[in-house]
Amino acid sequence: MSPVLDNLDLYVDGFLTSLRIIVYSLIGCLLLGLIIAACRVSPVPPLRAFGTFWVTTFRNTPLTVVLVFCAFGLPELGINRSFFFFGVLGLILYTSAFVAEAIRAGINSVPAGQAEAARSLGLGFSLTLRDVVLPQALRTVVPPLGSVLIAMFKNSAVVGAFGVGGDLWSTGQILTSARGYETLPVFIGVAIGYLLITLPAGALLQVIERKVAIAR
Amino acid sequence: MTSATRQHPLVELSGVQKWFGDLHVLADVDLAIDAGEVVVVIGPSGSGKSTLCRAINRLEPIQQGEIRVDGELLPEEGKALARLRADVGMVFQNFNLFAHKTVLQNVTLGPVKVRHRSKGEADKRARELLDRVGVGNQADKYPAQLSGGQQQRVAIARALAMDPKVMLFDEPTSALDPEMINEVLDVMTSLARDGMTMVVITHEMGFARRAANRVVFMDGGRIVESADPETFFTRPTSDRAKDFLSKILTH
Amino acid sequence: MRFRRTASALTVAVTALALAACGDDDDGGGGGGDSAEPSVAETPEFEAGTTMAEIAERGTIRVGTKFDQPGFGLENLEGEVEGFDVEVAKIIAGALGIAEGDIEWVQTPSAVREEVIEGGEVDMVVATYTINDTRRERISFAGPYYEAGQQIMVASDDDEITGPESFTENPDATVCSVTGSTPAENIREYLASDSQLVLFEEYSQCADSLSNGQVDAVTTDNVILLGFVSESDGEFKLVGEQFTEEPYGIGITKGDVAFCEFINETLADNEEAYVAAWESTAGQVEGTETPSLPEPQPCS
Repeated sequence: MSPVLDNLDLYVDGFLTSLRIIVYSLIGCLLLGLIIAACRVSPVPPLRAFGTFWVTTFRNTPLTVVLVFCAFGLPELGINRSFFFFGVLGLILYTSAFVAEAIRAGINSVPAGQAEAARSLGLGFSLTLRDVVLPQALRTVVPPLGSVLIAMFKNSAVVGAFGVGGDLWSTGQILTSARGYETLPVFIGVAIGYLLITLPAGALLQVIERKVAIAR
Repeated sequence: MTSATRQHPLVELSGVQKWFGDLHVLADVDLAIDAGEVVVVIGPSGSGKSTLCRAINRLEPIQQGEIRVDGELLPEEGKALARLRADVGMVFQNFNLFAHKTVLQNVTLGPVKVRHRSKGEADKRARELLDRVGVGNQADKYPAQLSGGQQQRVAIARALAMDPKVMLFDEPTSALDPEMINEVLDVMTSLARDGMTMVVITHEMGFARRAANRVVFMDGGRIVESADPETFFTRPTSDRAKDFLSKILTH
Repeated sequence: MRFRRTASALTVAVTALALAACGDDDDGGGGGGDSAEPSVAETPEFEAGTTMAEIAERGTIRVGTKFDQPGFGLENLEGEVEGFDVEVAKIIAGALGIAEGDIEWVQTPSAVREEVIEGGEVDMVVATYTINDTRRERISFAGPYYEAGQQIMVASDDDEITGPESFTENPDATVCSVTGSTPAENIREYLASDSQLVLFEEYSQCADSLSNGQVDAVTTDNVILLGFVSESDGEFKLVGEQFTEEPYGIGITKGDVAFCEFINETLADNEEAYVAAWESTAGQVEGTETPSLPEPQPCS
C-alpha cells in the first residue's frame, strides 16, 4: 500500500474535491428532484407534461452525454462558467430525474384518501403535498432514494473526467499514468476513499429509515 | 326549516351531468338544500349518490351544469376552490385521518394552515370538539391506535373545526363494525339537532327517519324521488323506490 | 483489445485492392506507405535464450502502442494502426525477421503500460512513452528514439500567454491537459493554483474547450500540439519555447539488457528507415522538423 501512504496528501486533496462535488450535487438534486416530482403529480397539465419530459430526457440519457452537453455544449451557446460548475450541474440534472421518480413513487404509495381529506379541508396543492402527502411518502421514499444518492456519489468520479480533475478518481489516474505506480494498490486506495463517503452515508440512511418508520 | 332569512339555497345543483366514460353517473341532477336542512340521499350502489356528494366540493369535477355553494359558483382548481372547500366539511367512508399526525394534530391542521388560527386557539377548540364527539381522552394518540368508530368521530371533529357552512357525509358508517355505528350516528343526530346543514349518503334508514328533513332517492344517476322521511318511507311513489325499500326493510 | 491478425490481414488486402483500383497511392497520413517500408531480415541468427531468439522463433511479436494518438499511434477507419511509433516498431520487428503482417498490436493507454510489460503480455511498448526514473523501477527503456518537448498552444488572437510563466503571473488563466499525463504534471510547477489546470480524457476535448473559450491554453508535447494547429485553420498557435525534454523510449522487461542493446543498434543501423518513418507520419504535420536519432541512454 506504499503508493497510497507516499501520496496521502494527494489522496486527501482528491477526497475533499470529490466530497465538494458530492455535497453540492446532493443539495441540488434533492431540491430539483422535489420540484420535478411536484410537477409530475401537479393538477396543472403543462406542469405535468414538463415533469414527464424532464424525467424522460435525463433518465434515458447516459451521464457522460449530459456532461458533454454541459462541458462543451453550454460554452458553444455562450455560457462560460467553471468546469466545476458544469460538472456539478450535469450531475444534478441527471440525478434529479431519478430523485423525482423515487419521490413520485413514494407519493403514489400514499392512499388517495389522504390527499382528498387534505384538499377537502381547504389545503391547496403545495400545503397538501408538504403537510400531508410528503411526510407519509418519506417512509417509502428513503430506501430507493438512498440507492439513487449513493449511485450519484459514485458518479462523481465521472464528473472528474470532464475538466474538473483533482477528485479521487483523477488522483488514481495521475498516480498510475504519469507517475508510474502500480494500478492495483493505487485504485484500492481510490476505492477506499469512495467507501469512506458511501459507507457512512449508507449507515446514515438506515438510521433515517428507522426514524421515519417509527413516526407512523 | 330555517331558510326564511336567506335569498338563496345554501347548496344548489342545477342541470348537473357527469359521465365516467360511457357511464352516465349524474344525469340532469337538480337539487337545492337550504341552510339548516338535513338531506339524506339513499339509493342502490352505483346510483351516483356518492359522486353527487363528492361533486359538491369538487372532489369529482362535473362536465355540465352548475353547482353553487352559498350562492357562489364552484370555482375551478386553485385558491378560490380551496377557500370554498374550507367552508364545506367532508366526512369519508374510510375516515381518511392523517396517519402521521396525532388525533389533536388532525383536528388542528386545517384551522392553523388554512384559517391561520394560533396554535393555542386551535388546540383549545380542537379539544372542545373532541370532547363533544366523545374522544377527548384520545387526543394524543395516532389514528391507527383508535377503533373505527372513534376514528370516524375524530374525522367529524376535524371537519367541524373549520366551522363549515355545510357538512357532507359520504357513507360515514359503511366501513364500521355494527357495534360502532350508533356512536357515530348519535354524534350526527346531535349535529342535526343543533341546526347544521347536512347532506348524508347512508343506508341507515333509522337515522333518515330520526334526523332528516328530506330524503332523496337516486337511481341510475337520477334523482327519482324527493320527499320528507315520513312520506317517503310510508308512501313512496315510484316503483324503483318501492322495490329498493322492500329489499332494505327485509334485512 | 488485441488486433486479430486474420481480420487485419483481410482489411489490408481489401485496402490494397481499393488502392489498386484508384490507381495511385498518395502516401498521405503515414499509414506505412511504400516509401517507409522497413526491410525484413531473412532468417537472422540470435544467441539462444535471448528475447530476440525467442521472438524470431515464435515468428510473431506483440507490440503495445496507443490507438488514439494522432501522428504516433492511431487506429484508422480500416482498423489499422498508423503513426511514428508504429513505424519504429516495424523497423525493430523487421530486424527480428518479422514481417508487418506478423505483428500483433496491443492497445496500451498510458495507465497500463508498465502492467502489460511486467505481465509479459507484450514484447515491447512503443507508445509516446517518456523515460523517467519512477518507470525505470518497474521496467527498462531502450532508446530514446525521439526527443519531444512540451509546449503551449493558445488561440491565435491571444497575446497574454507567451509561455508557461504566464500562468504564474496570471492566476486566472487556465490550461488544459490530459488526466494522468506527464505534461499535466509538468505544468503544475508553473501554476499559481491547482484550479488553473483543467483535465480531460483526451487532447481533442482540450482543443474543443480552447475553441469555445472555456480554457485559455492547451499544453502537451509539441508534435501533438502541431497536429491541432495544422488542423485548426489558423485558429490556434504555439507560443514560447519547449520547456521540458521528453525522451520517448521503448519499454521492455526490466533488466533485459541484450534486447535493449539490440533495439538501440537496430535503430542506429536504420537511420534511413527512421527518417522515412518520421516523414510519412508525424512529419506530415506542418511546422515539424525531421529529428535525428538521439544518443541512446545506457542499457540497464
